[in-house]
Amino acid sequence: MAMGTPTHETWEEWLQMDFDGELGDLSDLNGGRQARLREHEASCAACTAERASLLEVARELREAEVAVRPDFTSAVMSALPPAGWESRHARAWAVPAALIAGLGGAAAIVAGVSAAQLRPGGQVLGAFRALFDLFSTAALAGAGLLQASWRGVGLALGDALSGSWVNMAAFGIGVLGLNLVLLRLLRKGRTAEAMARRRR
Amino acid sequence: MTKAPDTATDEQLVVLVLRGDRDRFGELIGRYQARLVNYLYRLLRNLDDAHDLAQEVFLKVYQALDRFDPQYRFSTWLFRVAQNAAIDQIRRQRLKLVSMQRDGMGGDEPHEMDFPSPTPTPYGDLRNSERGGAIQAAVDALPWEYRELILLRHFSELSYEEIAQVKRLPLGTVKNKLFRGRQMLKERLAEFRVD
Repeated sequence: MAMGTPTHETWEEWLQMDFDGELGDLSDLNGGRQARLREHEASCAACTAERASLLEVARELREAEVAVRPDFTSAVMSALPPAGWESRHARAWAVPAALIAGLGGAAAIVAGVSAAQLRPGGQVLGAFRALFDLFSTAALAGAGLLQASWRGVGLALGDALSGSWVNMAAFGIGVLGLNLVLLRLLRKGRTAEAMARRRR
Repeated sequence: MTKAPDTATDEQLVVLVLRGDRDRFGELIGRYQARLVNYLYRLLRNLDDAHDLAQEVFLKVYQALDRFDPQYRFSTWLFRVAQNAAIDQIRRQRLKLVSMQRDGMGGDEPHEMDFPSPTPTPYGDLRNSERGGAIQAAVDALPWEYRELILLRHFSELSYEEIAQVKRLPLGTVKNKLFRGRQMLKERLAEFRVD
């Protein structure tokens, strides 16, 4: 593509782009801007001075760079919190899955051996039945305990509060106080964290 | 797991981290820590704050790594997060300073709303200071829109296209503003030399 003689502003723009490595050498597409710029610079004192001043500014900015703390990377790596996406990763499930499989296998072996002793000839079926019985009994026992404990708490609270409005007010104040204490503790923690960061 | 060559791109490293190779994130930190700390230091003017904020930025980026859009460059994303974090911090500092000024002065006179700086800003005070201070002052004296571009180009070493993406500006505007910003910077540094 043919191009006329660039204006001084265009030379300056090309000079800056060249300085930033953005002018490229796309000679087929833009008429060899880099080569033309070099040719122009050889005969233009203003552009030579402009390049020198750009180099000077860049050098000064580079010299003004500050050093990063040597332990920065390790500090960040050790502070990395568990990210939400990590729990969705297959690797995150590998250990728990292996643990469950191991425990299940061990339970199956134990139950199988016991069942074989009780019912010879039906080891496999016996093992599964024994496992099922074991788990269902544990689940029922757990559910029963949970229900009983909540019922117990409910009954105790009912007894305590139904007596009089004074008891109810005391209970309300107690809950409010507890919330205030928790709030204070949270704020204290945040302030301490902020101060520690400042000190660092 | 197969180790990626050391020449792995940022985007390849992100994929490896997402596959569970957490240590690869350390490589990304190593690549960007100097540029990020320097960029933030020039904006916040405090090295400790710059380190703290750079750490926060890396932690934020790590937590959101699965939302990284591979059609953009990692550097663009990182510096956009950093820019937003820096702006938030500067706003907080300004609010704090304004509140301190109100408490201390009590009057309605206008005061310069800027955050505390360990380096002097007026040029006249710089005659005997080190060159680094002069550079800092020259950069600080640039209007915000130019200053940011100069920092993204010189300290963060981003290309025009990356800067355009971070700032969500047309490429031509980035070129023009960088050009203008550099002219201003040169003039201010020249003033210092004359002084």
